[in-house]
Amino acid sequence: MRFNEKELLCISKQPSEKAAELGMRGPKKGDVVKRRLVKLVINFLFYFRTDEEEPAGALLLEQCKVEQEEPMAFSVAFLDESEKKYLFECESSEQCQEWVESLTRASYEFMRRSLMFYRSEIHKLTGKDPLEQYGISEEALPGQLSKTL
Amino acid sequence: MLLRFLLQKPKSDKMKLNERSVVHYATCDSPADKTGHLYKKGERNTAYHRRWFVLKGNMLFYFEDKESKEPIGVIILEGCTVELCESMEEYAFAVKFSCAKSRTYKMAAESQAGMESWVKALSRASFDYMRLVVHELEKQLEEMQTLHGLPGTARSHKKSSGRAKSKSISAAAPAVATLAKGPQATYNRSQEETVHFATTAKENGVAWNKPNVVLNGLCPTNQGSKTLPGESCSNDGTKPPPVPPRRKTVTGGVTSTLESPVSPGTVCFSKLHDWYGKEVTALRTQWQQDQ
Repeated sequence: MRFNEKELLCISKQPSEKAAELGMRGPKKGDVVKRRLVKLVINFLFYFRTDEEEPAGALLLEQCKVEQEEPMAFSVAFLDESEKKYLFECESSEQCQEWVESLTRASYEFMRRSLMFYRSEIHKLTGKDPLEQYGISEEALPGQLSKTL
Repeated sequence: MLLRFLLQKPKSDKMKLNERSVVHYATCDSPADKTGHLYKKGERNTAYHRRWFVLKGNMLFYFEDKESKEPIGVIILEGCTVELCESMEEYAFAVKFSCAKSRTYKMAAESQAGMESWVKALSRASFDYMRLVVHELEKQLEEMQTLHGLPGTARSHKKSSGRAKSKSISAAAPAVATLAKGPQATYNRSQEETVHFATTAKENGVAWNKPNVVLNGLCPTNQGSKTLPGESCSNDGTKPPPVPPRRKTVTGGVTSTLESPVSPGTVCFSKLHDWYGKEVTALRTQWQQDQ
């Protein structure tokens, strides 16, 4: 499948929500833990070999499950192959929990649900659609959101 | 010597992407923001090919046809600009990126309405835009709950009130219109164009605080769970989804605005959408005149 790699590279260079050097193990049998600089930018998780400017790879964080595995490690698995997990080893359980939190929220799908929630709650309080007040009509919303009220 | 050359990682190695899972995302039953046929100009081949497009979030997938099982490719839309363009092809528009040497994707819709609709959808298809809207609503809900003295479902998942909440408008500001005199008009979302708002934000610059996002009891493992936080919350009114993370601006600085009922952030946002609405109206008038 083709994708615009240059843009993905550009995204990887932007300021991140979260970045740290972690131990990372791929999902395949036989993969071993390697030190990687792991960087979260919008809904992509980039991983860099230490001292390299360009990421070795990126994970799009949609349709995925983030779980704490051990006190100091978490996994990222995709719903199409949920047994295949990327494992990340942290320095502390606090760091681990922070990553789990951040990655759980790092999907467009998650934000869409947040939007639905806030819109609905405000509508309950005021009887008005908060998005209309700001001049965002039904058409201005990404398709699915226009059906939420 | 030769061995060393062979073992060196060539710089042209393509970045790995979790392609299989991305393909699954494209084809699974998660909601699409828009689907339809569009003509897409080939990269080297200058012919337009009719493809089936599926927009999900900030990813625009294209398939050979509607029945295809896998996409041919995906255009990651974050940071793009969508422009109408002059072309032999009717209802043409282009998706452009600001980074160096990036490809411009030329497309054409099958009708005026189709073109307008796609241009709008693609202009808004960024993670940053969505995040801006969510932040704004979250803030509104909090304000309302404070004003009404209600138990704060929005507030309850914040840490101590001593922390200044900050939000960067400039990085996330969507379209800044430039209504050109000619037939061209743009929905421009490049970061540089947000200067208007960035200036305001900088004047009220507040040091960026580390985003403290608190779990509100939602199980962090339920990324893929069937229970939507939104749904469960409206039913029992308790657990809202946690706050989406904040983000620094891409200008490298720490421009941000204090969130308060009178913050420029609020004013910016309503101005933004007010003006955005005017932009759309103006464009529509122009198109109608051109008919």
